[in-house]
Amino acid sequence: MALFMRSSATTLATGYVLLGILALVLFALPLGYAWRAADNDVRLQILGEDSQRLAEVFNRKGPAGLADFINERVGLQIAGERILLLTDAALRPLAGNVPAWPAGVPAKAGSYTTPIDLDHHPTMVTLVRTELPGGYNLLVGRDVARLVPVMTRFWYGLAAAIGVLLVSGVLGGILIRRALLSRVHSIGQTVTAIMHGELSHRLPTGTGSDELNTLSVTINRMLEQIEQLVHGVANVSNAIAHDLRTPLTELRSRLEELSLTRPPPAEAFAEVEAAVADVDRVISIFNALLRMAEIDTGMRRSGFVDVNLGELCAHAVEFYVPAAEVKDITLSYKDEAGSLHALGDQLLLAQAVNNLIDNALKYTPAGGRVTVTTVRPGADAAAMVVTDSGPGMTTAQQERATERFFRGDASRGTPGVGLGLSLVQAVARLHGGTLEFADLHPGLAATISFPSKA
Amino acid sequence: MKMLLVEDNERVTRFVTKGLQEAGHTADHADNGRDGLFLAASERYDVIIMDRMLPGNIDGLSLISALRQSGNQTPILVLSALADVDERIKGLRAGGDDYLTKPFAFGELLARLDALGRRTRQDGTITTLEVADLKMDLLSRKVLRGARQILLQPREFKLLEYLMRHAGQVVTRTMLLENVWDYHFDPQTNVVDVHISKLRQKIEPEPERSLLRTVRNAGYMLSAE
Repeated sequence: MALFMRSSATTLATGYVLLGILALVLFALPLGYAWRAADNDVRLQILGEDSQRLAEVFNRKGPAGLADFINERVGLQIAGERILLLTDAALRPLAGNVPAWPAGVPAKAGSYTTPIDLDHHPTMVTLVRTELPGGYNLLVGRDVARLVPVMTRFWYGLAAAIGVLLVSGVLGGILIRRALLSRVHSIGQTVTAIMHGELSHRLPTGTGSDELNTLSVTINRMLEQIEQLVHGVANVSNAIAHDLRTPLTELRSRLEELSLTRPPPAEAFAEVEAAVADVDRVISIFNALLRMAEIDTGMRRSGFVDVNLGELCAHAVEFYVPAAEVKDITLSYKDEAGSLHALGDQLLLAQAVNNLIDNALKYTPAGGRVTVTTVRPGADAAAMVVTDSGPGMTTAQQERATERFFRGDASRGTPGVGLGLSLVQAVARLHGGTLEFADLHPGLAATISFPSKA
Repeated sequence: MKMLLVEDNERVTRFVTKGLQEAGHTADHADNGRDGLFLAASERYDVIIMDRMLPGNIDGLSLISALRQSGNQTPILVLSALADVDERIKGLRAGGDDYLTKPFAFGELLARLDALGRRTRQDGTITTLEVADLKMDLLSRKVLRGARQILLQPREFKLLEYLMRHAGQVVTRTMLLENVWDYHFDPQTNVVDVHISKLRQKIEPEPERSLLRTVRNAGYMLSAE
């Protein structure tokens, strides 16, 4: 029961039932009141007209005539329904169907609702008292009891309506709760399984578009992302282990050999310097990885500022031109967007473009050309494209290019650790964009595109 | 120069103090924040090298803030294993003048310390720089080698200006990337070397009278001899 009461469906159902009852009562009470008031008005009017008629009889025929008239009418009528009483100035009854002047009626003209003793039963009546000339008093009244069963029926009806509302509300609440709980339960079970490491589990989803289904679909998408990330982390860990193992192995054997063979100082120092270079390589891999982790967390999004992409690309091209000249490659910048600005991280975008240029220069043969272009692919979009005249990439290579530590065959033996393009992709993702490759036959176009307004 | 090293790791301390002594500097050492604050406040140093994570109640950054609040303007180089960009910004905001992450090459540390120590002694109103017969006019932006004028691209001018301002000091590739190109990341290639060799061709038509030397495992140095 406690659990039942704690369920949100129950709370909701209870709330609605209470609200329904409140609405019903608020509707019925004024209605009942208005009905009663109207009924009373009509009755008083009829009684008033009756009194008037009797007063006319009195005027025409005098007290004795009215007494006869009243007695005649009383004889014809059913007692208890209509009350008629004519008294003299001392309130002694002269004619009528009430044995004595009722105690609750004051000695003043007007209309009253008061209980009186009628055939030894206290009965609720409405009375109109008229003062006739010569101190005579006329009392015309009507029993209200006739109204009581109607009123009772009204209250019974209201109670029954409340009862129906209560029962249907409770039943509905139970049904909704059961339906809701079973689905929430299945979601809970799946999530528990996932928490225990079975990442392949997915929430059951139907075809409907209700809130729970939408939620399930969203959660499933989140799970997919998590699964990918977890697998990604596992892959990266393996790659890191592999890539760090190489320089570490070299370092270890170098140092071990040094301590075993104890060569002359000149040779020993050369070995030590080589060892330092090995360590530097390990450090640079570490730094690149840490930097990527920093980007991947998305923490840097808070520091986005307005970045002039044209200037950024021109700057990067200027930085690489001497290096390109050495390799006899024509490196140039082309502005096809005209003052392209975007919200972003200046440093990371610069590093991304630099990495793309670096990569392009690495793969382009002598005499080739590398071009950096800023374009505006849409109204609120910005893109930086680096094209080269190198061998390009096959579709399979394009897919693997952004994997951490992946290195194209042509780059074997060149410096670098194979993290450049994964960093570019991480930067693009941080800016809500993508890194895409297109084979130009010959050459490759690498495009970072992202929304220019965050 | 007289330096203060605030660092709790013994090995790093030995490595740095020995290196500084060999380079002709004197170095005091404190292995916790309290002693560091005491020394920094009571002695005069040319540069302070500050680790961030220190034993005791005072960490490096609050020590720097405390010094700056008391009006101490000694240049401070923050030496830390915290390498994130945000951490660097924190270090510089607290009042540090430079930030070097561990692990580091000693050459890099020494070059940065020299630059920091020099910064305080230099006044900002210099309009000409001179190294041997190489002259640079910062106002007209003219460069002369002897009587011959050398035409430089704007970026080459900035590169040479930085080298001349730090004449006689080792300048590392990272320092050049940060100060000349404003690139606070490692481009992983030897692009800076290419820029230097291009500049060298322009300012040194006769290789035997070389001013710009390559310092092995460290960087470059522009000097008269």
